[in-house]
Amino acid sequence: MSDIDHDGCDDGCTEFRQLSRRQVVGGMGAGLAGAYFSPIFPSWLPQVVLKESEDTTRDVIVSVFLRGGCDGLSLCVPFFDTNYYAGRPNIAVPRPDSGAANRGIALDNQFAFPQAMNALVPAFRAGQLLAVHATGSIDPSRSHFDAQRYMEVGKPADTTIATGWLGRHLAAVQPMRTNAGLRGIGISSGLQKQLVGAPKTIPIPDPSNFTIGGTASTRDSRESWLREDFGASAEPVRSAALDALTTIDLLQAIDFTGYRTANGAVYPNTTFGRGLRSAAALIKSDLGIEAISIDLSGWDTHSNQDPLAGSMYNTMLNLSGTLGAFHADVIASGLAQNVTVVVMSEFGRNARENGSMGTDHGRGNVMFAMGRNINGGRVLVNNWPGLAREQLDRSQDLKVTLDHRDVLAEIVRVRLGNPNVGVVFPDFTPTNRSVTK
Amino acid sequence: MSTPQEIDEAAVSDLEPQDSASSALPASASDETDGRSASRRRALALGVAAATALLAPRRASAQRIVRPLTTRPAPPPASGDTLLRLVRRITNGVTEEELNLARSLGFQAYLEHHLNHEAIDDARVTDFVAANYPAVNQDVLQLYTQNQTTVQYALQDATLYRGAFSKRQLYERMVNFWSDHFNIYYPKVNYLKVVDDKDVIRKNALGSFPEMLKASAHSSAMLEYLDNTRSRANNVNQNYAREIMELHTLGVDGGYTQTDVEEVTRAFTGWTIQGRGGFRFDPTGHDFGAKTVLGNTIPAMPTSAGAQGVTDGERVLDILVAHQSTARFISYKMIRWLLRYDPPAALVDKVAETYTRTGGDIKAMIRVIMTPANLTAAPAMYRQPYHLMLASLRAAQPSVANVAALRDQLRNMGQYLFFWEDPDGYPHNTDWWGGLILQRWSFEAYLSARTGDVLGVDVTKFMTVSTANAIADSMNQLAFAGTMSASLKTRVAQYLAAAAISQTRVREAFGLALSSSEFQWF
Repeated sequence: MSDIDHDGCDDGCTEFRQLSRRQVVGGMGAGLAGAYFSPIFPSWLPQVVLKESEDTTRDVIVSVFLRGGCDGLSLCVPFFDTNYYAGRPNIAVPRPDSGAANRGIALDNQFAFPQAMNALVPAFRAGQLLAVHATGSIDPSRSHFDAQRYMEVGKPADTTIATGWLGRHLAAVQPMRTNAGLRGIGISSGLQKQLVGAPKTIPIPDPSNFTIGGTASTRDSRESWLREDFGASAEPVRSAALDALTTIDLLQAIDFTGYRTANGAVYPNTTFGRGLRSAAALIKSDLGIEAISIDLSGWDTHSNQDPLAGSMYNTMLNLSGTLGAFHADVIASGLAQNVTVVVMSEFGRNARENGSMGTDHGRGNVMFAMGRNINGGRVLVNNWPGLAREQLDRSQDLKVTLDHRDVLAEIVRVRLGNPNVGVVFPDFTPTNRSVTK
Repeated sequence: MSTPQEIDEAAVSDLEPQDSASSALPASASDETDGRSASRRRALALGVAAATALLAPRRASAQRIVRPLTTRPAPPPASGDTLLRLVRRITNGVTEEELNLARSLGFQAYLEHHLNHEAIDDARVTDFVAANYPAVNQDVLQLYTQNQTTVQYALQDATLYRGAFSKRQLYERMVNFWSDHFNIYYPKVNYLKVVDDKDVIRKNALGSFPEMLKASAHSSAMLEYLDNTRSRANNVNQNYAREIMELHTLGVDGGYTQTDVEEVTRAFTGWTIQGRGGFRFDPTGHDFGAKTVLGNTIPAMPTSAGAQGVTDGERVLDILVAHQSTARFISYKMIRWLLRYDPPAALVDKVAETYTRTGGDIKAMIRVIMTPANLTAAPAMYRQPYHLMLASLRAAQPSVANVAALRDQLRNMGQYLFFWEDPDGYPHNTDWWGGLILQRWSFEAYLSARTGDVLGVDVTKFMTVSTANAIADSMNQLAFAGTMSASLKTRVAQYLAAAAISQTRVREAFGLALSSSEFQWF
C-alpha cells in the first residue's frame, strides 16, 4: 500500500480496522463479549433442535475457501526445516523454542502455529482439528482462477465440468431432512463454484437480512406473483427464485441478532465472523441445511506479508478467531448434530520470500479439517518433501505429496454418508489417510 | 439450483453429456464454457457412467436414482427482431427513445451512431457529472488532497449515472467490460483508480486495444494493484507479469509458461510510480540482463543504459499485443460480453482475424460481432446487478438529484462498484449471479416506491388511463418500449386488478414488472 491513504476504504478495510482496534483494546473477545447476548431468549434456541432431524448420522459440512492462495508455511510453520528460515529472512515465524515474543506455538516437534492462529489451539489440543500439510491440487496451475476452479469442481485440469464437488454431493444423497426448504447456502454475494449444481441451494450474503422489501401488507401477494412468474423461468434462476421464496419465512423466523452462542463463544465482528455466526445459527435452527460454503479472501500476499504483526497476521486472526469461536459454539458444545469444517485454498506460496517481503504463487499448502469425528490433534504429512532448493517444485515451491481430495473424499464417504465418491470426485481413487475417527 | 436429473436404470447405459458441442475455447476465460474437446467430454461421460453405476446398490432402498449434473442449463432464447436485439445488446436497457432512434436509422447506421460515440451530444450528462462529481476529472495532485471517501463515492456514483443516462450507451457498455478486464480493487489503490478509469478505460474503451494495454501497463493504479511497484531486480514480484498474460492478453491457455512469467517479471522490473502517482521507470531497480519471452530474445543491456531499460517492458507489450493468443482471447471475451456466453469457434476466428488485420481496433471487432445473423442466433444473457440497475433506471426514468442511495442498493445486490478484489473482474455468468435473486426484487421494490426530487419515480404517467389492462399497456409502452411479453403484461394487469387501483398499487405492479423473470435477461 506504500504511502497511499486508506480513508477511501468503504468496506474492504473495515475488517482490518475493527480487528486492529480490538487488538489494541486487549485481544479477541474481551471487548465485545456482551454484544451478542440478547436479554430475550429466542424461542427456537438453544439445544432443543436437531432432535427432530431425521438423520443425524450424517454431518453438516462447512466448507471454507481461503481465496488468493494462502501461505501455508506461515499458517502452519515447519520450524524443523532449517530451509524455511534460510529462505525467509524477513517474514519467518520464530521457532517455538526461541525467546521471541512472537514465537510459534508448537503443535508437535515439527510444526507450529503462529501467534495469530492461537485461537485454534484449543480445537487442536482437543484432537478435533487436523492440519494436513504439503497438500493441494495435483494440477500445477499457478493461476488463481484455474486452480480455484479445479479444486471447486473436484477434478484437476478439466474445463468441461460445470458443477462443484459439494453441488454433486448434495445432488447424490437424499436430503437429511425430507422436504427441507434449503439444503445448501453460500454465504456469499454469488454462488461459489463448489456449490453449483446443488439442489435447493442459493447464495445468501447475509442470512439475517433476507427479505423482498416493500410494503408488508402486500408481501404475500407479491411473493405469489413472483412464484408464478419465475416458475417458467430458465435455470438456474428458476430454482434459485423458488428456493429464495421458500426460504424467506424460514430465515425470518430465526432471530440472528439475538442468537446466543454456546460456551461463551464470541465471533469476531468481521464479515467472515458474522458469516460463520449466522452459519452456526442456521445449523442449530434445524432447517435441514447440509452444506454451507463461505470464503475468506486477502491471502494473495505478494508484498508485506508480515505474519507476525501485519496484513497476514490480521487475516489469520480473523480466520482463527472465527473458527475458534465456531469450534466452541458448535463443535465442542455437545450439539446433537455433528458438523465437519474443511478449510482449503487454491495453492500455497513460494518457499522463499520475494523482493517485497511477500511470497508469489506456489504449490503445496496446508489445509484443515475440524470436527468431533475428525482424527485431529496432529499435523498429517505424507512424507515432508523438504524446502531445500532441489526438493522444491520448480526449485521454488513446496511439493504436493498428498492430494487434497484424499481428505475430502474420506469426509464425504465417512462423515457425509455418501458412498458415491466417484460422483463427487470423478475419475479419482482416493488413498485413505485416516482423516476421520 | 437446478434439479439433478432423475434417471432410471435404462438410462444408465445411455449417458451422453448434455452440453453444447460447438464452443470455442480459451475455455480459461470463461466460466460458461462447456467443452474443449470431444475426447475430454467422452472421458468425462465415462467417469460419470462409472460413478453412476456405483449408485446401483442403493436402488433397493432408495426410491429413485439421481444423476448429478455436470453441465449447466442453457440460457433462454432471446426474442424480438434483430434491431431490438441490437438495442438490447449495445445499451444498458431498451427505452422508447432508443428504440425509435434505432428504427429511424436502421441496423447498420444505428450501430455506427453508437460506435462513433464522440459525435453523440452528451452534454447534459457530462455537465451533471462535472458539477456533482468533480473528482473524476481531477489529476493525482488534486485527488490526493481530497477527502478520500468523497473521491471513491464520486467515481462510483458517476459510473452509475453515466451508465444509466449517458446517450453513449455502447461506450458505457464497453467501459463496463474493460473495467472488469483490467479490474482494480479500489481499496488497494484508492484515488489512483479514478485516474485509471479516466486515462486507461474511458480513453480507450472504443479505441485501440494495444493502446489501452499500454496505458494500463503505465497506470499507477495497475502497477500498485498488481504489486509491480515492488518488483526489483533480484527481488522480484511476479504478480503483474502473470496477470498481464493470463488475464489481460494471452489467456491462461495462451501458450506461456512459468518461465515466461519469470522472464516477463524481469522485463518489468523498475516499472513503478512516482510521488502521488504517475509512471516512473527506476533504472536502479531494473534487471538489465537478457530475457527470452515467448520465444523472443530481448538482448542484455549494460547497466549504463539507464533509462533505456524501460524498452524491455515496452518490447514485452509489443510481443503480447501482436500474439495470436491475444487476438483470440480478446475476441472471445468481447463476444462473450456483447453477444453470447458460448462464442462459436468460427466467430472467434473471424473477430481475431479482424484484431490482427486492424491492429486491435475495438470498433472493427464490434462490427464483426454485431451482425443481424449473429444476433438472431444468440440466446439471452443474464443481467449482472449493475446492468439490471441501469436497465431499471432507464425504464423508470426517474428525476435524479443524486444517485448516492443506489450505491448501497448495488452493494446489496452483490456488485459494489470497483470492489471486486481479484484481478479477474466481476464474474460474467449465470452460475455466480443466478442465485442472488431476492436482493434484486428488494431493489425493484425500493426503486418503484421512490418519490420526491432526489430520486423520484413518476408512475402517474401510466395512469392517464383507468383500467388495469390499459395501465399495463401504458407501462409496457412508456417504460418497456413495448417489449413486454404478452404473458407478463397480462400478469401485471392481474396484479393491478386484484385490488383497488391506486398510485401505490401501480408502483408495486411496476416493481414486479422490473422484478420479473424476463427482465433479468437481455
